[in-house]
Formats: sequence, C-alpha cells, structure tokens
Amino acid sequence: MNQTSPTDAFQSLVDTARFQRQRRVPIPDFAYPDGVKIAVNFTLDFDAMLLRRLLNEPWGQRAKGEFGGRVGVWRIMEMFDEEDVKVTLFTPGRICELYPDVLHHVVARGHELADHMWEHEVYPDPAIEDAHLSRTLAALSSIAGKPVTGTRSSHTPGLLTSKGVVYNSFTSASYMPFYELDAGGENAILQLPFHYALDDAMFFSFGWLDTPNQAQRVMDVDEVFEIWWDAFEQQYRQGGYVNFLLHPFVSGHAMRVDMIQRLIQRMKTLPGVWFPTCDDLAQHVLAQHPLKDLPE
Amino acid sequence: MPWKDNYTTSDEIGIRDANVVWPDGQQMALGLTVNLNPAGTAKGITAKDLAYPTWHFGLNEGLGAFLGLFAELGIRATFATPALVAEAYPDVIARILDQGHEIAAQGLLGEDPATLAPGQEAAHMERATEVLTRVTGTAPKGWFALSRPDDRAATGCATDDTVALMKAQGYAYIGNGLADDAPYYWVTDAAKAEALLALPYYYHFDDTFFLMFPREGTGLERPGALLRNWRAEFRAQYRRGRYFNLCVSPARSGWGHRFENLASFLREALAHPGVWAVTGAEIAEHWTAHYPSSTHLKLAPSIWRDYADSLS
Repeated sequence: MNQTSPTDAFQSLVDTARFQRQRRVPIPDFAYPDGVKIAVNFTLDFDAMLLRRLLNEPWGQRAKGEFGGRVGVWRIMEMFDEEDVKVTLFTPGRICELYPDVLHHVVARGHELADHMWEHEVYPDPAIEDAHLSRTLAALSSIAGKPVTGTRSSHTPGLLTSKGVVYNSFTSASYMPFYELDAGGENAILQLPFHYALDDAMFFSFGWLDTPNQAQRVMDVDEVFEIWWDAFEQQYRQGGYVNFLLHPFVSGHAMRVDMIQRLIQRMKTLPGVWFPTCDDLAQHVLAQHPLKDLPE
Repeated sequence: MPWKDNYTTSDEIGIRDANVVWPDGQQMALGLTVNLNPAGTAKGITAKDLAYPTWHFGLNEGLGAFLGLFAELGIRATFATPALVAEAYPDVIARILDQGHEIAAQGLLGEDPATLAPGQEAAHMERATEVLTRVTGTAPKGWFALSRPDDRAATGCATDDTVALMKAQGYAYIGNGLADDAPYYWVTDAAKAEALLALPYYYHFDDTFFLMFPREGTGLERPGALLRNWRAEFRAQYRRGRYFNLCVSPARSGWGHRFENLASFLREALAHPGVWAVTGAEIAEHWTAHYPSSTHLKLAPSIWRDYADSLS
C-alpha cells in the first residue's frame, strides 16, 4: 500500500513549485557601470578531450578535443587579445596538467580562470566532490596567482561558497544576473546566465551529448553569425546581458574565430558594449546589488 | 600514467601560422580527399552497398565529372580506397592513376577495425596493403580511417593500434587527423618519440555529413551549409597560410547541384595565387622533409598525477 496519498503528493509538488520559484532572487533596478548598456561575456569551456576520455570515445573524438588544447585555444585567445576583449576560461583542473603553458599565457594577458570541475564531472560522493573541487581551485589559483571566484558546474552551492566561489554560470533561468539559493534556501550564489542558443557546441557538433545521427545539423558560420547577432541585438535594445559559451575545440577552428571576430567588431559599432570577464561583472553586481539589500 | 596516454595523440602546442612554409613560396596547401567507400555501416562494404544505385552513378558519371574538373584545374587528389573497390574495379583505379592522382588505402572493406575480432586488424591491414600494391603497382603511402554515415562519430575509426600498425607496415601518413589544421605528428610511442604524420581532416568539410545525411530518402540535403563551410575555412586558412582539406565522394558531390557547388568552390579557391593542390603523399613528403619529427615533435614531459578518486 502506498504511504503517500495522491492528495499528499499533489500538495508536495505545489510546495516544490513554490520553493523552486523562491530559490531564484532577481535583482530589481539592475544597473551597469556608467556608460555601459550591455555586458557581453565570452566564456570558454576548456575541457578539450576530457569529456571524450570520460565517455571512452574513440581516438578521432579525443583528437577533435585535443585540437582545442594545442591549436584552438591559442588562436581564439589571440583574436580576443587583438580585439581587447577579456574572457573567462572555465577550466577543468586536469587541464592544468595537460596544457599549463596556455593557461599562464592567458593569465598574463588579463583573462580569468574559473572552475569547470576536475575531470568534467561532478561525482555524487561528497568526499570526492570536495576533493575534486579543492584540487581544481588549487591548481587554477596557483596559475592565476589569485583565488578563483567562479565556476560553471553543478557543484553543491554550499561547498562552492565555503571555498570562496561567489558566482556560477550554469543556468538559463533569466536574461540577467540573479541570486540563486540552494535546496535548503541558503548559500546564495550569483548566477551569470548563459543560454544553449549561444553555445557553439549546439551548432557545430556531431553526436553532442549522445544525440542520434539523424538529429545532426552541422551548421555553417554564416547561419550562426545571424542567430548570435540577433540574440545580441535583442538584449542590447533592452540593456540586457549575453553570455556566449564557446569551446576552444569547436570555436578555435579558423573559420569560427573569424566569425566571432566579425561579431565582436560589429558589436563594437554600437555604444556602451562592455566585454568584462565574468569575475569583473560578478564583482560589480556583488558590490552594487548585494543580496542583503534586495527587497524581501 | 606514462606521458598522456588515453588523452592526447601529439605534442602540446601546434605549429604557428608564421612557421608554416610550403614549396616554392606557395601560400597554402589544399588537400582534396575523394572518398571511394560505399559502406554504410562500421562493418564495411556489404553486397547491398555494392548494389546501391548512387554508388554506380558515382563510379561512372560522378567520377567522370570529378576527373574532368580536377584536370581542368590542375588538382592532384587523393582517393581513399577500400582494397575491395580496387580489386573489383582495376580499370577505375587505372583511370584515376592515369590522371596523376593518388590511391590511398581505406581498409580492406572500408570497415571500422574496432568491429574486428582482437588481433585481426593487422591481418586486415596487411591484406589491404597487398591488394592495393598489386592493383596500383606501388605500395600505398596513405591510410584513411574515415567514418561511414551510420558511425556514432564523424571523426573516424582509428583504434588504439591503428596508427602503430600503419607505421610498422610502412605507411607515410594517416589521412584524417583532427588534432590540428596543419600537418602534425601522431605519437605511436612516446618513450621512443616515434610518430606518424597526420594530415588534417574535419567533418565539417566532408560531404558525407551534409548531403542526404544520414541516408538517401530520409536524410537532409544541406548543400549550402557545406559550401559555406568550405568557403569560410578556405578563406581563413589561406590568410593564415596553413592547410585546407575537403572530403567528397563522387556518389554525393558528383551529382547535379552538388557538383556545381564543388566546381565553383574549387575554381574560386584555385584562382587564388599560391594554392598548392597536390596529393596527400606529396604534402606528406614535403612536411616530413621540412619538419621531421626528430626535431619538430616537442613532447612536454608529463606532470600528470594519479589520484585514487579520478581517471588516470
């Protein structure tokens, strides 16, 4: 016999629905620094071949990821430097052992390193999760020369905040930055939302996340340029925010570096476009719109 | 973990644009791969594949259109050929060789060696090499491990053993490396710094994945996306002075509007000064002479540490 009656289950879901909405705390009257109309974050998920290795995919797949570490990341970062755009590299800890040179190189040019898990996976065992996050933060901060403040992951919020991580970029629940509470209604963390429509892997990958062959739509740079420009323009008009999620093994290919450069150059023709690192943006929000000052 | 086993195939930093040099001061190299594999699945060519109407269109009108275009533009292409196809159609092979193109290997049956029983891969490769050597009169220099339409990955089918076996059997290059977009070295033994040259390939320039993909009758036809990819990458790589590879099959790109796209792309590309459009074997010969692995493969020592709680 069921322990829970249908009515109880209904009420429990109603409570969940209400709680889930409360977990997301918007920031009313959000304001950028003077003169800024929109912040554009270019964020690089620098997992190279780690996910391919984790899934035990064949050598061609791993080599596709390897391109990101030995060619793509250098090339796309050179373009960002030419355009004087600062970016955040969400970097798994293991990458510090595979490609340390490029990480030192980008840090010296003012870019940000942030957490992207140890080997591109958050494991359910809390002890392992803690060890992985600690190891990753130590590896990244020793290269960055300063503490790491951000993550793109499903790491437990309480664990993140206990280690000094103040923002996550792992949600599409809003256009604008907002505070997110954990399952206990605590451990608020600032979310800098991205959206899958601004994720290069959605457009330029084959078999992404185990999608079947008949679902493949490998797109070209001109199609994606139009989509991304439209997305940017829509947010620009309302003084919003966009966060482009790029992978060096995808967007580091020559034709895509050129496309993203064209996108940046076109954005720059408009006044008030700010290209900060995620940490720059997070520090602005935390200082100007702290959670404690927000209306209940 | 010794070196970076299970993760990487080459050194940590690819060659920079400024260091890439082509013969006679040419600006870039263009590698044109023609895929002659009719196999639909990883098991390789079946009787059903060989009865397929568009495969025969490709062998006849499609191939004729290709050869005419390549002759007009002075392009020497590389035909990635399963040994079975060479054995069955020696007249087709002779026609290709007469025009100065290269016949490279693509398995015995165009199969994925991962589907073979353990230990069978070397025997298949030996037999494929024997057949191709006999039909063409010379040992093949290149080997292609391309994906078929039904494969779960578009990035090819090299196993843990493929590249080391190729090296042992005297091959000069693997035709589909994805870790760079200039030629680079695929390490077969890190301790001895042994490696085989890999020529770049990227499935975004391969007609298999754009023209009636996954299969005729139900697949999507996206010739515009394929053409725009070719153009965008060629433009970018030409400026960088690097390398561009496209991969086409006469059964697909030999037909109608698709052939018009291929022809207009190649005509535009070859109208640029200094495009060195030659076979994979010629590119491999240039690269291994100018950038030998003994001096140009720079393997950084591993600083990898193993932990009980993570993958090695």
